[in-house]
Amino acid sequence: MSEREFVIPIGPQHPALKEPESFLFTVDGEVVVDVEARIGYNHRGIEKAMESRNYIQNLYITERVCGICSNAHQTAYTGSVEEAGGIEIPERAKYIRVFIQELERLHSHLLWVGVAAHEIGFDTMFYYVWRDRELVMDLLEEISGNRVNYAMPTVGGVRRDLNKDNFTRYHKILDTIAERTNYYIKVASTEKTILERAVGVGYLGKEDMIRLSGCGPNARSSGVPCDIRKISPYLIYDEIPFEHIYVDNGDVLGQVLVRVLETLESVKICKWVLDNIPDGEIAVKFNPMQRLPEGEAAYIVEAQRGELIHYTISDGKNMPYRHKIRAPTMANIPSLIERLKGGYIADIPITLAGIDPCFSCTDRMVFYDEGKDKTWTWTEGELSKYRKEWYSK
Amino acid sequence: MSNPITTLVAVLIFPGLSFILTYALWCQWVSRKAAARLQNRQGPLHTGWQGTLQPLADFIKLLVNEDITPAAADKPVFNYSPIAVFALPLAATFLIPIQSLTSLWGWEPIVSFEGDLILVLFLMSVVILAVFLGGWSSGSLFGAVGATRAALMMLAYEIPLSLVAIGPAILAGSLQISEIVDWQVASVNAFLRAPSIQGLAVVGVLFIGVVIYVICLLAELELRPFDISEAETEIVHGWQVEYSGKKLALLNAGHDVKMVLAAALVTSLFLGGPAGPILPPFVWFILKTTFCVLVLTNLSVLFARLRIDQMVSGAWKYLVPLAVLQVMAVVALSGVI
Amino acid sequence: MAMERELLKNAFSKPCTLIYPFEKLEPPEGLRGKHEYDAEKCIGCGLCARVCPSFAITLKGGPGPKCTGLLVDLGKCLFCGQCEEVCPRDAIWLTTEYELAVINKADGILDFERTPPPPKTPPKKEE
Repeated sequence: MSEREFVIPIGPQHPALKEPESFLFTVDGEVVVDVEARIGYNHRGIEKAMESRNYIQNLYITERVCGICSNAHQTAYTGSVEEAGGIEIPERAKYIRVFIQELERLHSHLLWVGVAAHEIGFDTMFYYVWRDRELVMDLLEEISGNRVNYAMPTVGGVRRDLNKDNFTRYHKILDTIAERTNYYIKVASTEKTILERAVGVGYLGKEDMIRLSGCGPNARSSGVPCDIRKISPYLIYDEIPFEHIYVDNGDVLGQVLVRVLETLESVKICKWVLDNIPDGEIAVKFNPMQRLPEGEAAYIVEAQRGELIHYTISDGKNMPYRHKIRAPTMANIPSLIERLKGGYIADIPITLAGIDPCFSCTDRMVFYDEGKDKTWTWTEGELSKYRKEWYSK
Repeated sequence: MSNPITTLVAVLIFPGLSFILTYALWCQWVSRKAAARLQNRQGPLHTGWQGTLQPLADFIKLLVNEDITPAAADKPVFNYSPIAVFALPLAATFLIPIQSLTSLWGWEPIVSFEGDLILVLFLMSVVILAVFLGGWSSGSLFGAVGATRAALMMLAYEIPLSLVAIGPAILAGSLQISEIVDWQVASVNAFLRAPSIQGLAVVGVLFIGVVIYVICLLAELELRPFDISEAETEIVHGWQVEYSGKKLALLNAGHDVKMVLAAALVTSLFLGGPAGPILPPFVWFILKTTFCVLVLTNLSVLFARLRIDQMVSGAWKYLVPLAVLQVMAVVALSGVI
Repeated sequence: MAMERELLKNAFSKPCTLIYPFEKLEPPEGLRGKHEYDAEKCIGCGLCARVCPSFAITLKGGPGPKCTGLLVDLGKCLFCGQCEEVCPRDAIWLTTEYELAVINKADGILDFERTPPPPKTPPKKEE
């Protein structure tokens, strides 16, 4: 580190971070030279807690991994358990699961637009976007009984049904949201102060993004077509007509474009589901004390932030033997670090917010070696050293 | 001001200390309520009628908060900078004409002499020095970054600010603020009696001056889009980060008084000061400065925050040449009139 | 400049904030709020306690017919509604009451009473 450089710590507590993480920035004047990330502040022992509860109780544990992507976690969890146990769910349940997932994507992307506006100091747009997001929250409260943590999917189907009488009202709400999103697209593309802060900021090209294994809207903003709903569809996504959104910008403006365009696509999907939902049962009976046959399964879901993997191993009891969750932000952190280098201090919050980080989903980094009875946490440097050693063998 | 009783009342009560301080709290309320209504929310509501006592409540709350001085801070400088930030704008408001105590329709300021416009501009610049010292002496990294940014911003906006403020002085032929106000009243009366092209040209050129002046004032008052030195999401409150308790109360009060001073300067230089038909001068003063505060708040709510390099390069690329051209136009017009 | 028209339009219309607690939103029907218990229908099977993810329900007096009621700890409760779903007699359900903040933690534990039915005596043999 030269004489002119000094180290600024951002985190674990900082107004730019909605959840605690620690980043140490080495800066030279206003330019960021190097970044060191230290994660693990939000670790709560979820995977261990899941090993001592039955499959129905674990539904509500997975839901609380994250507040914004709670339904994505539940969809992936129920998918992996059903696949491991060979349980088929009725068609109507699949449609309802897709409906709730897309509604959650709406609320998450609108939340992100507001938070990104707040990070560049545009509080007015923050307030207005969150006011319009209330429409989605009220709709979800009416359908599921809660504004966050909806607890709609269960093992075998969904817990509550949709009432056909309300469908015209739901269509109107979705139309209002599409109209407001179009207004915010217009504002974001014509407001000079936003464009000054977003164009060219935090650039990462397509090859670097693939090399650093980014996923979700973060990768799609750099031109990598990686939407799980399109390349390996689950539930009924192969039947629904919608666009695969990816742009070449590579900077924060690309992130904004991908997310607002995905919001419009989600509105389209929700309206399609409301028009085409079949009648039928909503769940297959699953007893909380029921045992699952031995087996294992992995289930990949396109969560709001990217590719979410739930992997479950069952050994014949009514509790999982092991359940592993790989959250998308974990895969996005290396590309985040690369984006931050070479930028200004003033660009740190918007670049951080640009990948839509969800550190609550991410912190599962404690390693426990049963044979040697050792516990340890790793920094990013040690992890990459280990990876190099492993692959060189 | 011959009578010592009148001087004492003028300095301490009206239109001096008490009036300015109360008016500063009122301006803060106007700014907060207007910003809230523009953003479709309520703003201060429960303290007093529609929340008018909220700024006073915040001030009192800060006074009783715990006042912590960091161990790494440079204590004398750290402790006395807030006093400078509070006192200097307050002193400058004594030079603005608001209301005379001896006659109901007069408006002599408490202190007035030839060249007091320069003194006001100078006092406003020295405040930035106190801001820089306050942030630098706080011993915190975020404070140092915020102080540096404040100093950089001063490089950007001071020159257009001063250039444009000289415009009315050139037209009035005097650097004394009360003379400038008198000149504005006389020329408006003359214009209304006999409109002329030169009059319209003067109004047009001064309008450009007001626009530049308001943009520079946004930077001076550290409002969006130029609140770079106190950017909350980047450097956690910038140069004020280590201040708490009584010192922070003084800093907030100083910020409000600066806003009153800025609005009062715009009023006196461009909007005709406290002059106006029918109503006494201080009522006109309040109306015009409240209008300025509303305009500043609206602009502040409308934009995102700019980066420091964008602001400095933008100021030198656009504001400074425009200000120079505006002053040249004013000189040309004053020669013609 | 892009949002100016929207700002001015909203400056002169009613703000979207509700002045709680003087104005309140009507909660929708399916809101998962405070528990309600019907002692007549309860059989003391204990399924609600076994299925609760945070172990917030405890049976008083033991499971089965001699159960004397339920203790529901609202501090631990997730308001997931699984107890309502699994109950075979619809004896426990969630209402729409959501204002559940208390100052004393002990006030947050709901105490539901149940009088166990008298033990069945075999009919007297006629002599």
